[in-house]
Amino acid sequence: MATTIHSTSRENWRGRIWQRGIWKTLAAIKTGVVLLILVVILSAAGTVILQRPATDPDEMQRAYSTPVLRLLDGAGLTDVFHAWWFVLLLGLVSLSIIAASVERFPNAWRYFSRPYQSPDESFRKALPTQALIPIGNEEAGLSVAERVLQKAGFGPERIVRQNNFSLFGERHRFSEMAVYIVHSSLLLIFLGGIVDALYGWRGFVTLTRGQQSSQVEPQNGKKRSLPFAIRCDGAGQENYADGSPKRWWSDLAVVQDGQVVLRKQIVVNDPLVYHGIRFYQASYGKTAKIDKLVLTATPRDGRTAKDITIGPDETVPLDAETTVRLAEFIPDFVVSEGQVYARSNNLENPAAHLVVESRKPNGGMPGQSINVWLPPIPGYEQNAASPYAFEDKHLQMAYFTGLEVSHEPGQWAVWAGVLLMGLGLALVFYFVHTRVWAVPVRDGQGRLMLWVGGTANKNKDVFDLRFRELVGQIESELKISLGAGAESPVHALTGK
Amino acid sequence: MARVARVEPQPTVTGSTLVVMVGLGIAFLLFMAFLNVVKSGNLLNDSNLLYAALIFYAGAGTLYLGFGITGTPSYIRYASLATWAGLLANTGAVARRWYEAGHPPFASIYEMLLMFVWTLAVLTLVAEKKFGVKVIGTVTMPVAIVGVVLMQLLRTEVRPLVPALQSTWLHVHVTLAMLAYAACALSFALAMMFLIQDKMKTETFLAATSLFGVATYASVLTRFEKWGGLSLVAWNPDEKSEVFLSKGVRLVVVIPDLGWLLLLVLAAVAAPLVLYLVWRKTQDEQWLSLANRAVFLSLLLQVLALGFFLMRAGGGRYASLDADGLFPTSLAASPFILSGLVGAILVSLLYLLLLWRREELERMLPTADELDRITYKTIAIAFPLLTLMIAAGAYWANRTWGSYWSWDPKETWAAITWLVYAGYLHMRITRGWRGRRAAYFAILGFAVVMFTFFGVTYLLPGMHAYA
Repeated sequence: MATTIHSTSRENWRGRIWQRGIWKTLAAIKTGVVLLILVVILSAAGTVILQRPATDPDEMQRAYSTPVLRLLDGAGLTDVFHAWWFVLLLGLVSLSIIAASVERFPNAWRYFSRPYQSPDESFRKALPTQALIPIGNEEAGLSVAERVLQKAGFGPERIVRQNNFSLFGERHRFSEMAVYIVHSSLLLIFLGGIVDALYGWRGFVTLTRGQQSSQVEPQNGKKRSLPFAIRCDGAGQENYADGSPKRWWSDLAVVQDGQVVLRKQIVVNDPLVYHGIRFYQASYGKTAKIDKLVLTATPRDGRTAKDITIGPDETVPLDAETTVRLAEFIPDFVVSEGQVYARSNNLENPAAHLVVESRKPNGGMPGQSINVWLPPIPGYEQNAASPYAFEDKHLQMAYFTGLEVSHEPGQWAVWAGVLLMGLGLALVFYFVHTRVWAVPVRDGQGRLMLWVGGTANKNKDVFDLRFRELVGQIESELKISLGAGAESPVHALTGK
Repeated sequence: MARVARVEPQPTVTGSTLVVMVGLGIAFLLFMAFLNVVKSGNLLNDSNLLYAALIFYAGAGTLYLGFGITGTPSYIRYASLATWAGLLANTGAVARRWYEAGHPPFASIYEMLLMFVWTLAVLTLVAEKKFGVKVIGTVTMPVAIVGVVLMQLLRTEVRPLVPALQSTWLHVHVTLAMLAYAACALSFALAMMFLIQDKMKTETFLAATSLFGVATYASVLTRFEKWGGLSLVAWNPDEKSEVFLSKGVRLVVVIPDLGWLLLLVLAAVAAPLVLYLVWRKTQDEQWLSLANRAVFLSLLLQVLALGFFLMRAGGGRYASLDADGLFPTSLAASPFILSGLVGAILVSLLYLLLLWRREELERMLPTADELDRITYKTIAIAFPLLTLMIAAGAYWANRTWGSYWSWDPKETWAAITWLVYAGYLHMRITRGWRGRRAAYFAILGFAVVMFTFFGVTYLLPGMHAYA
């Protein structure tokens, strides 16, 4: 018979079996656990082995011998978390979660959407938590049980059986679905992570006061131009009494098409966000550049001296005919072979180059321009020729603010996932799906009894206690009602 | 379910001897502390409060142990009382620290330990009162004592918060972490008790505790130097900090001969394990009783080694292999070696307690089923807390560094911890894992937690430098 099957359809069938096999394998809890163990081992390796972008190459060289390093690099173990196989592994984990959820969902959904309301005899026998309460008649027993369950929040309904009624009540049925909430939240977090890995970026901008920039220095790759510019209007540091830093701040302005569209003072922990791009206060420090130089200018003709404040390339008038410009500032100068060099960017041996220009009083062509050096550097300075003598009073270096820039379009999925997971876990662990049934039955001697049974999907011991309580309540209320109206005439539904 | 109400003959001894002795001990120590306070004229600083907490916790620990051994019900009452008193002093220390620093005490490993011990004490009382796990203090109080002793060493001045730590999210993150870790510690203790109630063989405990001791001493002996020295980090007593040669490179000094002593102890600790293996092979009971005697011997040697360690590493100046001259060291420079040594002693003690008083212990403890369920429940509390702790940390990192996840070792290990407990829950819920296997999983989970908390901070590189 089997030979009549067309060969291609048999291959199809086989192919489908094979696919089904993969699917089943992915959905198996064992696969999931094996994958998770792999994730654990590999990420543990990633914390023990020094990782590439974070550790600088010299340190890597020092820590590992060349062949070992080559081996580690070749295997991708020096950048585990960005290696293709790690990403693949996380992908497989996601697939496994999806497969496992899809595999189990239909059953769970059936369980959820069509609750088992009318327990048959074999179920009643097998249920571990149950009790038999003697009752006078079915209606009285059921109505008392109904009242007790109603009060306990089970929302009991009457279920029509073949020839009588039974009761079914439950609480927190939604908790059966909670595990799917948790799993989908995990997938949502993964999705956010993937989006960020693909479309997100991080970079760095360094600004001094008054400077603006739309270029971001990336961590890797080429420079990135923003469609707007960020400007620093001021930055500073506040200290505790003991001198340790308390606060770093930067006043930032977003400039688009020449207009300031947003202003914010950022501090560590409180970034500026514009069009999904975030600017974080990351570092702060002195630059080799000068911000302000305060000078005392003393005229040679005996007029009184005055203080002037001058910035780089700034021209300040000294009197009607004379101006001074700060042409150059060298933080650490050295003279070698007749040339002035900057030896380093540290403020160790500073020199300022001022240009004093005088005009004839009747205006017109500029007169002479004189180079003044503080301190005087022989061969360069013409300090004696200047109509003013200068003395430096205060030197203020420019500070830079280092801004970390990041764009993480996927983070909203991550936060949504986190919230959803919190909710899901709360439902999974703290909401118990409990069900209670009450069925009038006849016991071995033919006496009329109310069979009461219940289950909980977790915390069974607590539920057992609760169940005993409920049974006790039903029993005591039955006694009271029996005492009050003993001969209830409702026998109509007994049927037998 | 089948928990037959066993009628146990209650010991007729009132057991007042131990209570009186512990009470006298507490009174004596408090009096000595009071004399010190009078001398310094500073009553309610957090150091004194912590000292008081230590005294009470130690008293509670002794009484819990006494209860475990003799089963005298009055001990448990006084033990809880001592725990309450310790908790009160601990709370005072936390409040004092908070007031002094002007921020919740979560900024350094010292302050976090303060919170951890506090949470542990609270959970101990909860487990005792709510779940009826009365001897839980036998395990948790020693942990609390080690925590407080560590704090005495790690004592740091109130330092102002660096800007990155000035965030409400940090406080949320750390609070959740401490709660979660304390719940994990409790689940560990419960899992251990489950193994006792599950009739796990005392010999297996012998092998496990001996293995723990071997592992501890072996890792301490990674600092073994040529000619039998032991290298320890140098300590600058003026700045109360380690001495750095260059960024990230600590100066180490070598204490001569201490290495030999610890090597000897390692051999003594390994002896029970070896004898156990011989017993497994030959099935000759004689080897087993020899192994038990070896545990006792190794305990004595361990105490001796601890004494020497305290004497030698507690002060003095030693030579270094990296620099000329003599440099001071202090116990504060090697808190993990110290807690390792103390921990190994406590583990040996707990084993001997089990060996000698197993029957009484079993009578005291809830049934295996019940312990299994309570273990699961504590993990069901710990897991959501772990999740939220990671989430709050990620949110804080995102606000501070612009990235919610950067695979920093601490982050990665927190994720590993999370995965281990997730594994436990899956195995339990979908595979119906109960009993032993679940208990092993819970123990593994706590081991990972400890590594995340301490190991990562001290062993692995990373930017989670605050603790």
